[in-house]
Amino acid sequence: MSCEELKDMLELYSLGLAEEQERAEIEAHLARGCDACRNNLNEALSINALMLASVAGAKPPARLKRRVMASFGLERPGWGWLGAFAAACLAALCVWLSIQERQRTAELVQARRDLFQMTAGQERLQRALSFLHQPGTQEVNFGENQTRPPRGSVFVNPRLGVLLIAGNLPALPAGKTYEMWVIPKGAAPRPAGLFQAAADGSAVHVLSGPLDSASLGAVAVSVEPQSGSPAPTTTPIIVAMLGE
Amino acid sequence: MPWAAALSACALLQALSSAADADLARRLRARDPRVMAALYDRYGKLAYSLIFRIVRDGAAAEDLVQETFLRVWNRAHSFDAGRGALGPWILAVARNRAIDHIRSRDGRMAAAAVDLDRMENHPLFARLEDSALSLDRSRRLKAAFAKLPPRHREVIELAYFEGLSQTEMAERMNQPLGTVKTWVRTALKALREELAEAIVA
Repeated sequence: MSCEELKDMLELYSLGLAEEQERAEIEAHLARGCDACRNNLNEALSINALMLASVAGAKPPARLKRRVMASFGLERPGWGWLGAFAAACLAALCVWLSIQERQRTAELVQARRDLFQMTAGQERLQRALSFLHQPGTQEVNFGENQTRPPRGSVFVNPRLGVLLIAGNLPALPAGKTYEMWVIPKGAAPRPAGLFQAAADGSAVHVLSGPLDSASLGAVAVSVEPQSGSPAPTTTPIIVAMLGE
Repeated sequence: MPWAAALSACALLQALSSAADADLARRLRARDPRVMAALYDRYGKLAYSLIFRIVRDGAAAEDLVQETFLRVWNRAHSFDAGRGALGPWILAVARNRAIDHIRSRDGRMAAAAVDLDRMENHPLFARLEDSALSLDRSRRLKAAFAKLPPRHREVIELAYFEGLSQTEMAERMNQPLGTVKTWVRTALKALREELAEAIVA
């Protein structure tokens, strides 16, 4: 078989359509590796490719790529719009749960704070009540003769200290606090602790510890900066005179 | 629609140019499965079109496209990185899957089925050059094919898209084998000459 004869068979040979006997001859000839036949083979392959590509135009469905990729483990099959919808739902659920979680955490923090305040309030109240039972407690009311509040009572016990119960305290601007003072007879006021009024304007404040109740002239409350003052800087809004 | 023709011509050019194939071939040999997405983007439509033209059945065509890409992946080891055009090889694999399919569907499992397998060895395509697959050559081949006498076109289509040997063609067309062989030889010669002119020009 000459190179020229071979040339006519290379397309069908490359398409796998050569007859059994032809194929053996073609392969024996190609094995000699002459340049002409190598070029002719390339030309035949090129014609085949161009012929096969000439039918381009059909459009494969989009799912086909997903399917082919799935067979390489690259993408999950059947993950169409329904899957995308499910994914969106899942994402929304996650966001919702995380918001819920955050709200619950906030609620829990608030509940703990409330509980702590209640416990602290109860403790304060118990301490205050203990004043009332004890012998030697002296009670002074204040505000009774004033047209404007606050009103309340001061209890002084030489062993336990001073208890202040007040109502109708005005709300304070930010950065201000109430400060209690104990004022010995003929002496300067001494700081007796800072306190805030509750939202309803009530307050219970205790100065714990024994004190010389006999020499105590008055108990007063003034509005002071948040950190407190060593001496009153404003006119007291409560003054309870003792021993009258 | 001229724009549609231009668009499909561009797609064809892109698919047949082996310049960008070198990188894909290298990744294929490196067994990087992500290369299959790029390969599908490049050749998926072409493979589907070809297979659909042969089997004329959408569902079967989808199966066969999947088979084609799996085969490309499994035979990547025969690949010589940086050499040879991927496109012609993938087209050959796609065609052979489709021909196998219609052969078994039509109950004509020929001994030639073994040949298809042999013809998919990539080294066969290793020396194919970029210039062999230019858009210009694609146009020329189509034009030359359109000019062929009907009987010549028929035998060419039977070979490429039905996978019939010349003996099978003779039976199907109820013609002497010698006549069929003449038609095939003359038709291929006409196509070759048209393309050879393109090189000279």
